[in-house]
Amino acid sequence: MRKTQWKKWGSLALSLLLLASLAAGCGGDAKPSGELSLYTWDGMFPQEILDGFEEETGIRVRYSNFDYDEDMLAKLEETEGKDYDLVIADDYIIELVIAEGLAQKLDTSKMENYKNLNPVFMSQFYDPNNEYTVPHGAGIPLLVYDPALTDVEITGYEDLWNPALADNIALTANYRVINGIALKVMGESYNTEDLDVLQAAGEKLLELAPNVRVINDSNTQDFIISGEAAVGFLYTSQVYLAMTARPDLKLVLPKEGLGFGIMASFLPSQAPNPDAAYAFLDYINRPENAAKCFEFLGYYCTNKAAESHISEDMKELLVLPEDAAAGEIVQNISQEAEDLHSEIWNQFRDACG
Amino acid sequence: MKTKKWPFAYVGIITAITYIPILLTVVYSFNASKISSVWGGFSLEWYRELFRDRDLGEALVNSLILAFLSCLSAAVVGTTGALGMYRWKSRLNDAVAMVSMLPIMIPEIILGMVFLSVFSLMNLPFGMLTLVIAHTAFCIPYVYSMVSTRLVGMDKSLEEAALDLGASPFRVFWDVTFPTILPGILSGVMLAFAMSFDDVVISIFVTGSKVNTLPVKIYTKLKTGVTPEVNALAAVMLAVTIALIAASAAVGNWTNRSERRQIKSQEKENV
Amino acid sequence: MGNKSSPKTRPPWLLLAPMYAFTILFVALPILYMFLLSFLTRAEVWGVEFQFTLANYKRILEPLYLDTFLESFRLALISTALVALIGYPYGYFMAKMSPAWKKRMLLLIMIPFWTSALIRLYGWIIVFRSNGVLDSLLMGLHITGEPLKLLYTYPAVVVGMVYALLPFMILAVYSSAEKMDWSLVEAARDLGASSRLAFWTVTFKMTLPGLLSGVVLTFIPSMGLFFIADLLGGNKIVLVGSVIQEQLTKGRNQPFAAALSAVLMVLTVLMIRLYRRITGASKLEGLV
Repeated sequence: MRKTQWKKWGSLALSLLLLASLAAGCGGDAKPSGELSLYTWDGMFPQEILDGFEEETGIRVRYSNFDYDEDMLAKLEETEGKDYDLVIADDYIIELVIAEGLAQKLDTSKMENYKNLNPVFMSQFYDPNNEYTVPHGAGIPLLVYDPALTDVEITGYEDLWNPALADNIALTANYRVINGIALKVMGESYNTEDLDVLQAAGEKLLELAPNVRVINDSNTQDFIISGEAAVGFLYTSQVYLAMTARPDLKLVLPKEGLGFGIMASFLPSQAPNPDAAYAFLDYINRPENAAKCFEFLGYYCTNKAAESHISEDMKELLVLPEDAAAGEIVQNISQEAEDLHSEIWNQFRDACG
Repeated sequence: MKTKKWPFAYVGIITAITYIPILLTVVYSFNASKISSVWGGFSLEWYRELFRDRDLGEALVNSLILAFLSCLSAAVVGTTGALGMYRWKSRLNDAVAMVSMLPIMIPEIILGMVFLSVFSLMNLPFGMLTLVIAHTAFCIPYVYSMVSTRLVGMDKSLEEAALDLGASPFRVFWDVTFPTILPGILSGVMLAFAMSFDDVVISIFVTGSKVNTLPVKIYTKLKTGVTPEVNALAAVMLAVTIALIAASAAVGNWTNRSERRQIKSQEKENV
Repeated sequence: MGNKSSPKTRPPWLLLAPMYAFTILFVALPILYMFLLSFLTRAEVWGVEFQFTLANYKRILEPLYLDTFLESFRLALISTALVALIGYPYGYFMAKMSPAWKKRMLLLIMIPFWTSALIRLYGWIIVFRSNGVLDSLLMGLHITGEPLKLLYTYPAVVVGMVYALLPFMILAVYSSAEKMDWSLVEAARDLGASSRLAFWTVTFKMTLPGLLSGVVLTFIPSMGLFFIADLLGGNKIVLVGSVIQEQLTKGRNQPFAAALSAVLMVLTVLMIRLYRRITGASKLEGLV
């Protein structure tokens, strides 16, 4: 009786193991001539691009993921920049990576397509002389609203405080950006380190709490598309998804000013296979390939030569008008100011519930 | 013995409720809309997408291997530990048992962070090895506490009687103790498997550049958004699980029958 | 007689060694490191400076963080109580089923938990969202007239927690009820005890280790399951887990995150001790 039960479980385990080894066998049949360890968020590249690169160069792409920029920093610190060949992350964290000596200087002569990059997105605060990074997409958080669900005409952040929007706003969860709404309404900079100004912004933000329906970082666009909330403050890729799913939604460039962020790629200081990283950077910056990447990703295109390859109906959402790039970038600030930001944020969340 | 109907009804209703989200997940895997919570018509697009994604298959295999290895080591360490502590009581044991529970007492993220630091101090290469160690650490408590629960109040006189009757300690363990704790080991391993197979936070910290696990892949779509592709994946996993269980049940039935036949023929010989 | 007691007095090192070694090397060491971290000062960019401070613990005493702890405990207590209420009878009834059904039920409970937690939570979102499954059902039955805003409320979070934790309770209770000697209950009944009295004096007492282990296995994770509150509660309930996450990521403040974790851990251990004291379960050995 007991023995047969044991057998049953044994056979279950055995069949699981068999299945696993079978699948492992299938996965490992390609014979690569080299490997590229790519480290970034999941879903940054269409399968087509990854396959095309492997076919052309024979280099096998090992795609591993993190969810927060800071997790990536922690990993690079602990492995001393040894494990990965190419990393794509956000601007502010790259400033820290470079300061910690965890990135290596680029040899741009190894990338034929380096010239295709749009200079508007280069020479930024994190890498003023373009020594370490290659931009890969830019974002501006914007307001999107459903005119069928609210009579309020929204032109800027200030309108979010309108009592008619009670329990009707969906926000992303990046506290520097959300607290920044209050700062912008007050006419201040995202990057102010004046604690009194921050405190005042915190109080202003608390007044917004009754209007907040949900705070969520991933798939925030879904709330607007499905009508769960009337207004959304969304990241660029989410704006792109919302507007392509429901063209009847209204897109607002807040009159108080725009926020701005850039993603960029860099080679860790002791990357095991830098040539593979250069080959990949060169491949994704070929105009037609870059266009495919940005159509898939939904961030603003940072490759000038690719703009003409982007399909007409997507151009409006993927090619940034020159003047809009004047938005302010969220940068690293003093620890005291950062701590206060986090406290303001948690008080705000608590008040929303 | 008289059996009442309502306990079955209660168990049935609760079980049915736990299947509601699963069922909806499967239904929505056929959703044409990209939005995971709005129905946009029937489509097989996400299954097509799923089978095109090579990395996903690789990640699934890694997760299965990882869950299998960590459950196995947790089962060995947890069970021997529970048995040892049951046989020999001391304050030291209480302390070790308490400490061994800590991995499920502190939030995963800080555990992931300290594992990252400690493993790099120990100079362990990040990859499957570090993943297995970290997962074993939080799998042991499930096995240990389930086995201990079975051992508490187990009729000690049975073991002693068997010893008195001249059975070897190994025999006593195999015929008396093991059958008693087996259900505990199994339920502990089942929970541990579920926890390991689903862990994101600790895995993100302790994995290396070559090994991606399935939950890590699902959760790190932060920049790009989760699509119903993951619903399709869940549906496929569910189907595979059920198929495996059905297969092992069939195998079990078959061995049962052949065993019964054997016993019958033996009985005939004895007669 | 003598040779029977000797294997019990000598520690069975072979059995104990793996547990001892693993626990010391891979649990005690990392956790000691966590405590050490909590007394250090954070470095400018990343990591820590070896400079002793109590500032991290002082900061926890700010009302904002005290409230967060209270909120986390409240949610954990509510969830654990509900899980016990629903899971105990489930596990108990399951133990009374035929062996074939026991096996079937065991699998039925576990199968949902072998798929991704995130995906299951999305399933609940489909149930709760405006004009979702539950809304349509209630309006179809004319119980409510208009869509309720059920998602991103406290009850939605509690449902999510109970759902995620139920199997721990069921399996623990089942595990201890299954090996129970039912003849004791019959004996009590034969001696004239009512079925209720027999349950409380015999069955409940004998299944208490299972309930206890279930409470421990439910209460502990419920302190850390902040992503349920984030997804089903719309990030509007601030729990200790999410503050720790935030401090480690955006805040890059490992020492403060470590201090929060240390306090959470100590409080959890104390709660469990208290629970043991109250229920008198301290007489039962083998459990934390």
